[in-house]
Amino acid sequence: MMCRRQLSECQHLRCSSLDTPPTMIKAILVFNNHGKPRLTKFYQYFNEEMQQQIIKETFQLVSKRDDNVCNFLEGGSLIGGADYKLIYRHYATLYFVFCVDSSESELGILDLIQVFVETLDKCFENVCELDLIFHVDKVHYILNELVMGGMVLETNMTEIITRIEDQNKLEKQEGPYNSASTSSLKAGLAAAPARAVSAVKNMNLPQQIKDIKLPDLPAAIKDLKF
Amino acid sequence: MPAVRGDGMRGLAVFISDIRNCKSKEAEVKRINKELANIRSKFKGDKTLDGYQKKKYVCKLLFIFLLGHDIDFGHMEAVNLLSSNKYTEKQIGYLFISVLVNTNSDLIKLIVQSIKNDLGSRNPVHVNLALQCIANIGSKEMADAFGSDIPKLLVSGETMDVVKQSAALCLLRLFRTTQEIIPGGEWTSRIIHLLNDQHMGVVTAACSLIEALVKKNPDEYKGCVSLAVSRLSRIVTASYTDLQDYTYYFVPAPWLSVKLLRLLQHYPPPDDPGVRGRLNECLDTILNKAQEPPKSKKVQHSNAKNAVLFEAISIIIHSDSEPNLLVRACNQLGQFLSHRETNLRYLALETMCLLATSEFSHEAVKKHQETVINALKTERDVSVRQRAVDLLYAMCDRSNAEEIVQEMLNYLETADYSIREEMVLKVAILAEKYAQDYTWYVDVILNLIRIAGDYVSEEVWYRVIQIVVNREDVQGYAAKTVFEALQAPACHENMVKVGGYILGEFGNLIAGDTRSAPAVQFQLLHSKYHLCSAATRALLLTTYIKFINLFPEIKSQIQDVLKSNSNLRSSDAELQQRASEYLHLSVTTTTDVLATVLEEMPPFTEKESSILAVLKKKSGRMSAQEAQREARVQAREGNAAPATEKAQNAQLKTKPSSNAAFPIPQLNNSTSADLLGLSTPPATQNSIQSNTGVLVDVLGDLYGGGGTNTHNGTTTPASLSMSGATDNIKKFVCKNNGVLYENDIIQIGIKSEFRQNLGRIGVFYGNKTSMPLQAFNPTVSVGPGQQGKVTVQVKPVEPSIDAGAQVQQLVNCECIEDFNGLPDLTVGFTYGNVPQRLALHLPLSCNKFFEPTDMNGESFFARWKNLSGPLQEAQKIFKATGPMETASIKTKLLGFGMQLLEGIDPNPENFVCAAIIHTRTQQIGCLLRLEPNRQAEMYRLTIRASKESTAQILADLLAEQF
Repeated sequence: MMCRRQLSECQHLRCSSLDTPPTMIKAILVFNNHGKPRLTKFYQYFNEEMQQQIIKETFQLVSKRDDNVCNFLEGGSLIGGADYKLIYRHYATLYFVFCVDSSESELGILDLIQVFVETLDKCFENVCELDLIFHVDKVHYILNELVMGGMVLETNMTEIITRIEDQNKLEKQEGPYNSASTSSLKAGLAAAPARAVSAVKNMNLPQQIKDIKLPDLPAAIKDLKF
Repeated sequence: MPAVRGDGMRGLAVFISDIRNCKSKEAEVKRINKELANIRSKFKGDKTLDGYQKKKYVCKLLFIFLLGHDIDFGHMEAVNLLSSNKYTEKQIGYLFISVLVNTNSDLIKLIVQSIKNDLGSRNPVHVNLALQCIANIGSKEMADAFGSDIPKLLVSGETMDVVKQSAALCLLRLFRTTQEIIPGGEWTSRIIHLLNDQHMGVVTAACSLIEALVKKNPDEYKGCVSLAVSRLSRIVTASYTDLQDYTYYFVPAPWLSVKLLRLLQHYPPPDDPGVRGRLNECLDTILNKAQEPPKSKKVQHSNAKNAVLFEAISIIIHSDSEPNLLVRACNQLGQFLSHRETNLRYLALETMCLLATSEFSHEAVKKHQETVINALKTERDVSVRQRAVDLLYAMCDRSNAEEIVQEMLNYLETADYSIREEMVLKVAILAEKYAQDYTWYVDVILNLIRIAGDYVSEEVWYRVIQIVVNREDVQGYAAKTVFEALQAPACHENMVKVGGYILGEFGNLIAGDTRSAPAVQFQLLHSKYHLCSAATRALLLTTYIKFINLFPEIKSQIQDVLKSNSNLRSSDAELQQRASEYLHLSVTTTTDVLATVLEEMPPFTEKESSILAVLKKKSGRMSAQEAQREARVQAREGNAAPATEKAQNAQLKTKPSSNAAFPIPQLNNSTSADLLGLSTPPATQNSIQSNTGVLVDVLGDLYGGGGTNTHNGTTTPASLSMSGATDNIKKFVCKNNGVLYENDIIQIGIKSEFRQNLGRIGVFYGNKTSMPLQAFNPTVSVGPGQQGKVTVQVKPVEPSIDAGAQVQQLVNCECIEDFNGLPDLTVGFTYGNVPQRLALHLPLSCNKFFEPTDMNGESFFARWKNLSGPLQEAQKIFKATGPMETASIKTKLLGFGMQLLEGIDPNPENFVCAAIIHTRTQQIGCLLRLEPNRQAEMYRLTIRASKESTAQILADLLAEQF
């Protein structure tokens, strides 16, 4: 018994020594209606196993809630309990969950999620779950323009899109191998600022995304030509 | 569908589709392992990969990681990508590192140079990649490496806005790890002046940074107040077309407004009347705007607008100085309470909790009581109901306590399981705090037990008993009420406990009524007896013996119960003991003695209600709010204590036995030690000795008041001396691991290992009780026999051990030269407010540094002869204390640390051993001969050592082992 205790003691020590100081946003998780992670970003160190457990726990907490209840709830025990809030939005097949501490405004974060999704929507032209799956890297780059080290970096969508566009310009100047990728993405982005402005005025994004009729995913895969 | 889908990395897309087409988890794992093997071989292969390939493989690894598979390679490839000339390769390298590399990885050292290069790049996109990476890792190494570059980047006139913005947040992140990173002096004003920056993004980021700095050093950054106010003022008065890009759904710069308002909450209202006026103007405008018709029907518009509004209300509450604004804020929140947006209702309830504690707005909040109660009944979302409970708790005062408590009780019947325990605590606290009539209080607690018995913790029912015992006027009522409650066919065990205790003390007050005659009371309680747990039965047995004293007429009936096999021969030691001791007490003692022993409980010394402490512990997030609230409530009630309360206090003071029976609970983390004595009345304890944990608890508490016995320099409460403590120190001469000491409170275990002249001892302290051990402080000190000869280094331990927990303390030691005796180990702690001190020894004796040495007979005897100096030999002849079995003697000698040399001594009965003691200064060769004489049951022990004095030390140590 002593040995086991000792062991758990050690583990405890290890965990606490690795804990980074508290961040405002501890984690950003995107998963689908079945709990499959589509984007995870932790701003505090957790080992791989813990990350997966946190995703599971969060999915269980969030997915059992009705669509019309409030968008805030206390965090699960793994991610910091009542000291942290889960602020989430549910778009069609995806949940976007931000785990934040009390130093952030709840409504502010809710809007930030909206900005994130609207930006994805601009960059991918009607974003859907498949875009997140096939473009993990791009999604990360976009997120990096919004949130940095657990802190809100930029909230202005025009500005964010300009920066993504700058990156794409650099990409374009480089080797031929990804010209296919950039040309298409660029086509979407070059026109973005103008369209973004108009879109901001007349878009009700949750509605729009919900309206997209996504075929069942396995079927969608079959239809895709690679 | 957009054309992005058809883009470049075909291999990646194929792989992802393969995975998604997998029919089973096994198939998926198989496919992934195949891919991992493929990538691994590609990375290891001779062929140099081009950037595209590297990028593709890293992307695959990221995808595999996202699926929850551990990635243990590819890191070096990612590090190499960082220094690539191509932006896309660099970018993916950074991505891999930010997702997969943790702060402590050795790789950090390898990437510092690449980051430095990018940080100095002329291309802002590269600089930002570097800043993002630093901020994501955010470790001390990063702070050390870039601590000087980033502040410069932040304030330099040449830095582009995009970079400045990232630099501000990056600096903030590093500041959280390493506070010294922010240079003081002139930097302070330069950082503050970022609030005036043209670029709104920069101002927002700077605002976050300044807020963190202000938390640490409010005075130094005081200058930010007026700048923040004027910035806020410009935003608030701007029309939504002014700020263009930073207008979000017709709301000008909502995020920046929120940040500025947060920043200002770190300061009291500005002293400068101009600044103060401007701030109030802003707040006024924000409140006004809330009343304007929305400029858009989009939820984003109202969200953004309300985010600012809630922050404004928050600062109004925080300043707590403008009655006009407070009331307006309250009215605004009141509107939100019945808003159709659930989020707003949630936030309104949450914010109103704070408002309820301000003396200006407390009354205004109370106007919404109906709505809040309604929310409790009708909200569909448990998160919202939880906030409603919090608010009711916060808005409760003497005038509405009865109604609120009643509503909470009603709700409790159907409440979500997840919040029941917290609700029970809240109801118990409110009932106690605002009780004007204690019969009401008793009713409430009994209702709690009836409705949610499983969630009524010990603290709650202990407390009701404490209060009944201390208040004469309520005792008769309590006895009557519990008697009635117990008549329910199925009542909760907690009810039986409370009922048993109260009837045992005050059953006589209702015995006059034939419906509750003594025999009836007894039969009622005893009808529950067999359904209860052992702990409750034990409590009931105490009630029965108390009945014998109160009602001699039912003595024989009770004695029959005590005599019954199920008690006298109970498998539970505690029950058996109580039954037999109580039986003897009732048979052998005179009525006078019985009456003295079983006298009514004396009033409890009044301490803080322990329930509040439990509640605070339960709701961690609430604690700060709660603290603020308590402070304010006290201030408020202190100012305007109603006449009745004062009268009550005066009346209480005339009663010496109970001082201020119902003080407003103080902020204090005292534990519930005061209540532990309740499970058995202390009055009977003096005559009963037992060594079970429960009784030690009680005695610990009893002796706590009466001081401790001092003997032999060791202060130990008497309770310990009778509880069969075992000190195994002697056994440790011949072993390294095991239990060193044990009593009813603590178990101390040892694991140790020694190599050469160094040793490491792990001391394990286990708390055997159900209460934390506080002020825990074990110390090790070397005695005169070891001074300068052995060094011990003790790692500190936490000052408390939770109930049932074990902590480990590491002791590093070094032997400098041979030493005598053992270092002292003194373990001090308080248990239930009683200081305890255990004077023990650390099992660190000279022989621990033995290294067994093998040799043949020839060299043994040669050495033996060499060591013939008078002080090189020590001999002892002593009587055997245990059986003289060969096997156990061998075990002891081996445990002593020496090599057992077989077939060397001509007499096979004898044992010879050899070993070397390692000290820092020298090695001491030691030889041993042990001759048992079985007829005489004696031993002769002879030890020779190369150093004078060592032989004697070893002989003394070993002789005691046989």
